[in-house]
Amino acid sequence: MTRKEIWVIVERNEDEIEDVSLEILGKLTVLAKSSGYKVVGIVLGTSNESVLRDVIRYGADKVILMKHERLNEYSNDLYSKVLFDLASSEFPTALLIGATYYGRDLAGRLAARLRTGLTANAINLKMDEEGLLVFGVPAYGGKIMAEIVCERARPQMSTVRPGTFTKFFDQDRKGEIVEVIPDLSSIQDRVRVIERKVTKSKDLTKSERTIVGGNGIGGDLSMVRRLAELTNSDVGVTRPLADKGLAPRDLQVGTTGYSLKSRLTLILGVSGSEHFTSGIRDCGTVISVDIDKESEIFNHSDYCVVGDVAEIVPAVIKKLEEKR
Amino acid sequence: MRNIIVCLKVVPKSENIIFDPVTKRLDRSKAENQINEADKTAIEIALRVREKQGGRVILISMGPPLFENFLKLGVAMGADDAILLSDRNFGGADTYPTALVLSTAIAQIGDYDLVLAGEESSDAALGQLPGQIAEFLDIPQVLFASSVEADAGKLRVRRRIRGGHEVVETSLPAMVSVEMGAVQPRFPDFKKMKRALSQFHLTVWSSRDLGLREEVTGNKGSFTFVRGLSEITPIRRKKVFIEGDVAEKSTQLAELLRERQRS
Repeated sequence: MTRKEIWVIVERNEDEIEDVSLEILGKLTVLAKSSGYKVVGIVLGTSNESVLRDVIRYGADKVILMKHERLNEYSNDLYSKVLFDLASSEFPTALLIGATYYGRDLAGRLAARLRTGLTANAINLKMDEEGLLVFGVPAYGGKIMAEIVCERARPQMSTVRPGTFTKFFDQDRKGEIVEVIPDLSSIQDRVRVIERKVTKSKDLTKSERTIVGGNGIGGDLSMVRRLAELTNSDVGVTRPLADKGLAPRDLQVGTTGYSLKSRLTLILGVSGSEHFTSGIRDCGTVISVDIDKESEIFNHSDYCVVGDVAEIVPAVIKKLEEKR
Repeated sequence: MRNIIVCLKVVPKSENIIFDPVTKRLDRSKAENQINEADKTAIEIALRVREKQGGRVILISMGPPLFENFLKLGVAMGADDAILLSDRNFGGADTYPTALVLSTAIAQIGDYDLVLAGEESSDAALGQLPGQIAEFLDIPQVLFASSVEADAGKLRVRRRIRGGHEVVETSLPAMVSVEMGAVQPRFPDFKKMKRALSQFHLTVWSSRDLGLREEVTGNKGSFTFVRGLSEITPIRRKKVFIEGDVAEKSTQLAELLRERQRS
């Protein structure tokens, strides 16, 4: 018998909880209210109480802390073992994970071990009359949304695309905190981290102003960076640019990257495939520059400039530099 | 190095897929097919590992007979062998039975040190097969890899994480998914292509060859189902064109940027 509980794996970096985990909690507070499901946040590692309290304030009814020092850093082997053990003894009806690198790394193995269905990169979440979760996922480059259900196995699992849902916060929200000390004595971590290099990159989903470069910028981001500096904006790129290594994946906008919610977005040299435009749906004002006046991107823009990015952008930079 | 097995998928080019909003069906008939780009990257990595460490590169793919020529294309890139996993019962599979079929085939090939795949397919973009395959084979996994070095029974992999990368080490055999664009895949060799098409004998395994019961594969073995498809309606935008020469356009653009900065 499954419990009327929906679990969210809370990803964090020490005391800082990943936004996507909070966004899922936020979405679930809305869903659970009408359906009578309990929202449960699962925190792994050792943690101070303020993090656990926060999980509740952001929407959980209950927090389970899987308390063990070996869980302080993500490990595919250890996390999948601990979460498999917990889920197969507690039977939650659903289990959701943010579609981060670690989250996606974990989800496949965990779902296979639990012998259940897994949906990827959900951008929509509903519950039907029977209480079955309906996951909306972008398909075929994002022009279509497929509604996926998992009827015959539990938990219903999905990863959720970062930047999709809105957070909830209630300073006074109360909830239960449960501590579990998992037995990890018999398990080895088969993957050993030797080196880690992380630069604190901007979380694009939080960016107020973004300038996005695509193939039409001519393979060099310096112009885009300069314009971003002058307008106090963040830089994003399309997938082809990230594929070429011009910018890290953390700056990639679109289906397999991040969704923007910027107030102002300037898009340079992007043709506007569905892969990309699905990532700018929630933006405020969108301005685009592209050389092709038939470009699809203009159908997704408030202001359109037909022209060569290599001519227009330097001229804009010059104007902004003059009038500083 | 023992066998290096690369899992690949043949995908339609998404630009050519048409969605009919009335019937809510996809028309793929006009779509041209290709080897998924990230999987090509995985083949290239496999070939480079073989160049240094030896071993045989074996390609596997689950799909209809039309995949045959794409596997041969992989052989023309330099793979030693290719196996198509094809059966009517495999149709309509979600990732769970797909991973089951692929991992059963990998176990059947046996004697492997490394299993490679692209990070995700361009059509479904799920990226969850590698983790599922690794689980079914009970081997360690490293996903989103940008470089792979094998040495002395160990694997050293650079993988993408949020905001940067990690270098990790794992024992063999292991499953690695490869980031698209990590290396430039080589072009198929013309002579090898001729040989692949005329002389190479592609192995085809059915569910019977793999000893898999009908109910664990394909649609029957799947847990997730598509309940419906809907078109994602575009957001209505103003679509105001800014006219003039470069100077006028850039003046107006600079104004827009400045104005919006203040508000």
